[in-house]
Amino acid sequence: MSTDSESKRRAYREEKEGARKKSVKLAPEATPESKPDLPRKRYYRQRAHSNPFSDHSLDYPRNPDAMEWGKLYPEYANTDKKVEIADIGCGYGGLMIGLAKEYPQTMILGMEIRVQVTQYVEDRIIALREKHEKDEVNYQNIAVLRGNAMKFLPNFFHRGQLKKMFFCFPDPHFKQRKHKARIITTTLLSEYAYVLREEGVLYTITDVEDLHIWMVKHLDDHPLFERLDKEWEKNDKCVSIMYGSTEEGQKVARNKGSKFVACFRRVANPEE
Amino acid sequence: MKHPFQIIVADTTGRYLFTTVKNVLLVIDLTSGKLVGQWKDELDNSDFLKKKYEEKFDKENDSKRQKSESGQAKVSKIPTPGPGAPPIYNYIRALRLSSDEKYLFATTDSDKAVVIFTIDHSKDNCLELKKRQPFSKRPCALSVDEDRLVVADKFGDVYSIAIEDDQVVNEKELTPILGHVSMLSDVAIVSNDKKKFIITGDRDEHIRISNYPKSFVIKNFLFGHHEFVSCLHVPNFDQSLLISGGGDDYLCLWRWYEGQLVAKIELRELIAPFLTDSHLPPERFLTETSPKEISVARILTFTNKKTGLNILVVLCEQTKAVLLFEIDAKLSVRHLQTISYEDNVLDMCYIEATNTLISAHDSDKNQLFQQQKFDEETNNFTPTTETMDAVAELNPIDVNSRNDFLPLYYINTLRKRSEH
Repeated sequence: MSTDSESKRRAYREEKEGARKKSVKLAPEATPESKPDLPRKRYYRQRAHSNPFSDHSLDYPRNPDAMEWGKLYPEYANTDKKVEIADIGCGYGGLMIGLAKEYPQTMILGMEIRVQVTQYVEDRIIALREKHEKDEVNYQNIAVLRGNAMKFLPNFFHRGQLKKMFFCFPDPHFKQRKHKARIITTTLLSEYAYVLREEGVLYTITDVEDLHIWMVKHLDDHPLFERLDKEWEKNDKCVSIMYGSTEEGQKVARNKGSKFVACFRRVANPEE
Repeated sequence: MKHPFQIIVADTTGRYLFTTVKNVLLVIDLTSGKLVGQWKDELDNSDFLKKKYEEKFDKENDSKRQKSESGQAKVSKIPTPGPGAPPIYNYIRALRLSSDEKYLFATTDSDKAVVIFTIDHSKDNCLELKKRQPFSKRPCALSVDEDRLVVADKFGDVYSIAIEDDQVVNEKELTPILGHVSMLSDVAIVSNDKKKFIITGDRDEHIRISNYPKSFVIKNFLFGHHEFVSCLHVPNFDQSLLISGGGDDYLCLWRWYEGQLVAKIELRELIAPFLTDSHLPPERFLTETSPKEISVARILTFTNKKTGLNILVVLCEQTKAVLLFEIDAKLSVRHLQTISYEDNVLDMCYIEATNTLISAHDSDKNQLFQQQKFDEETNNFTPTTETMDAVAELNPIDVNSRNDFLPLYYINTLRKRSEH
């Protein structure tokens, strides 16, 4: 990578950072003079992997009640509404934007561990909100934050708060000894089951067949999840959004790759 | 000089003291002052490493040979630790008695194993090795539920193994009953209205409560710590309470079933006189405003048998003091006494039968044990006239200097110091 192009990208991101600081997130009254263009992805490139076990210096609330959601969703600041859909590892945010149109009244949160990717989504949401200020779908219900969902999900969400969770094109961590770094593991599923309400749905999609088999096996084996059948998938709107709207999904389609979908219902806790 | 005793545990009769020194486990009869049990972890680390890599490479090399048609694949060599590699000590890191006190459990760092002993006081050596069960990651904490031993490891997973079963299971076939994505520091099995739960604490500031044995159902989390959690203590006098401590300036007192934080017990002011420069962060993280850091090493509770008053005893790592509090019926907590010693306290245990607090010390003068008696009238501890120096002489590990000690203070290394 040449130093030149790296510094160009940095300069672009710094300029956007200025805009981000001026935007609604930090100063709700401020109105920017000119409407910004949608951010360009190529300035936010970052390697595709992040070590989920490392102690990144992350911002996370001490507990779910301590989270200031109003900063992320200024229009919802004084309501009792809570985030009900989470996109874990939201990448460039395509799924959330698709979902925003389908569920304009539901608060949707994307969580992403990579700093620059998160900044891109943030800039993208700011631009969309300004561009669609007067439209019915105004993107006020979607937001992104940098976080490690494998470690700190219960800091953000109460028990049973979520009705949908998405895991789209997660890092496959091919090596055997890296399998614990996968986002779907037996022990982590118990945490997802904790934040997901009964009858809530956990969605997975990947282009890596081995990972698909792995995820299905672990979800099948977990007593709190039950697979939804192909017929259900066919009739579910989210499945088609997930299939077509994420950047990763589009990339796979361009390369004529396969996509594997599996969805699971959160069943009730067993009687003691 | 002698290597200090590191962990001490007493049985309920107060007759037997179980303790560790380096890689040796000792059982001391306090009434006769004699050694009645002993075990030494003689596993050689290099042998263990060699075996581990040989197994791994045998498999790898086989598949490599199959893959390359010529049969001349690169064959991996067993790595030898370089000069800068961190040493692996033959540590015994956790020690615990079963509820019926017929078994003793210990964890070893050398081969990341849990060692189970049968205790039989009719034998010359009361410790009989029953089973040595290795795990794939280093075990950090133990708890017992009837006939099962619950083991929490450095990778965040919890396993449950049968105590009675003599068969060692291949560690790769063990499946965790729950897991955190953070190193676990303590684990406790508790019950509420006949239902059992498992409480786990980790290096992030999480305390999790899950159903037990169906531990895939998480009941809730207890949010109150800002730093790592190192100790989870459920008092005998009230199982609905939990006292947790770690890298914060306070302990948390919980009604764990309700998920309610009842009180924060402030330690900073009380322990401040005993904090030294050794409590400052490592140099590369040191700033002018860095506070001296507190790490809770042990929490104990007992009841004054005469007055019914509940007493809390707290040890902070690398201090020459033990803090004493009372917990009244309304669950308000009041400081009673600070016991100060000549040397840093490494561990402590309280024997209700004899009202005695025994402590292990980092002492240059071979005063490795100290004991204090609890006065039921004044709710205070006073040193006993008789010393435990004779008992400390049973220590078999002679060293030339402090340089030969195993690291005695490691709890504060749990503190997260993120840079990026």
